[in-house]
Amino acid sequence: MIDTRSCESKTDEELVGLSLKDSDYFFCLSKRYEEKLLRYITHISKFSREDSEDVLQEVFIKTYYNLNGFDPSLKFSSWIYRIAHNEAVSAIRKKVARPTLYLEEGDLEKFGDVFDMVKDVDNSIDRKAIDIALSNLDEKYREVLVLRFLDEKDYVEISDILKKPVSTVGNLILRGKKLFKYEYEKLIGVSV
Amino acid sequence: MENRNISQIAIERIKDEGIKPISRNIFSIKRVLFWVLVASSFIIGAITFSLVLSALFNNDWDLYNKIGFSFIFRTLPYFWLISLAVFTVLGEYYYRKTYLGHRRGFILIMGVYLVSTTVFGSLFYLIGTGRLIEQSLENEAPIYRHVMLNRYEVWSHPEAGFLSGRIIRVMDNEVEVIDSDGFIWIINMQDVYLRGRVEIEIGERIKIIGKCMETICIADEIRPWIGMRRGMMR
Repeated sequence: MIDTRSCESKTDEELVGLSLKDSDYFFCLSKRYEEKLLRYITHISKFSREDSEDVLQEVFIKTYYNLNGFDPSLKFSSWIYRIAHNEAVSAIRKKVARPTLYLEEGDLEKFGDVFDMVKDVDNSIDRKAIDIALSNLDEKYREVLVLRFLDEKDYVEISDILKKPVSTVGNLILRGKKLFKYEYEKLIGVSV
Repeated sequence: MENRNISQIAIERIKDEGIKPISRNIFSIKRVLFWVLVASSFIIGAITFSLVLSALFNNDWDLYNKIGFSFIFRTLPYFWLISLAVFTVLGEYYYRKTYLGHRRGFILIMGVYLVSTTVFGSLFYLIGTGRLIEQSLENEAPIYRHVMLNRYEVWSHPEAGFLSGRIIRVMDNEVEVIDSDGFIWIINMQDVYLRGRVEIEIGERIKIIGKCMETICIADEIRPWIGMRRGMMR
């Protein structure tokens, strides 16, 4: 097995080329995205960590299987996120999602900054409220908000991941923010 | 719960199951195929637009006064207009399926497609492509008559003085034509106005305006079946 430290200096695109020659290099690539994608899948699917890991495993297999289909005119991260999106959506359709608390420590900060929320209340209450507010949103809004504010993707990347026009992504984010704020205010009972 | 090493599990599965990446050629073919479909939809769309123009410019708009308002609805080139809409939708759909096609909005793609189709379709019309294709379809594809049924219907009313048919015999001041129902008519051209680029030759399809009784028509005017433009007196 290749030591991931030896891959650190290599770009995603270089690792794709190397993986096609030697599948061991794919380990570096998948390791690089493992945590990010696991969090993304959990966020959009509301699956437990274990179920999300199963989805992620399929994502890596599909990514490797389709590796020759990667075109560098797209960012590799957008491409693998797209595969993760498709796999998560397909898994959601197959099973009934169980609501779960999936926000982590840093996530509260990200959402707090974006929505300028009050943070003088207990962090755990805030996190729970953000989590529920997000869960209450329609999937299409939840996903763009997660990609934009938790995974910090730009509009073009989100467009590439979701295969939606950039203008549509902009509209979804704008509307999603309003809906999220409304849901959040409803939960905590104050205007933010 | 202990986190599983998903990357490790995935790489082991890849090796154990002997999974290999799909050939690059498959993806290349898929990409090229979508661009071919985009280009085909665009070219057919532009040709269809030239046929719409051909049908509109060659329509007998002057008969509006004689036949009335229904003439407009009866002679619009519906088949080509629907075809144009279909190829526009297909063009948009296939473009969206190209590798980065999803980035552009529906309105932008449709706008560019329609403007390009209009420009190239007009060029095709100006160089005579529309007329040429329409004539070929008239002559070579019998099904086309069913598609353009309205045009035939308008020119199948000898009792009202509107008749069309193919010339089967040319005599002095008279021609014989066979209409779409297979009836043979003698057309008297004693004092006729030949409109447009009409050619009185065997095999030519013509439109006749006049007075028809039994099997004889006294023609006031004869027009080519497709196309009009310049007029001339005989």
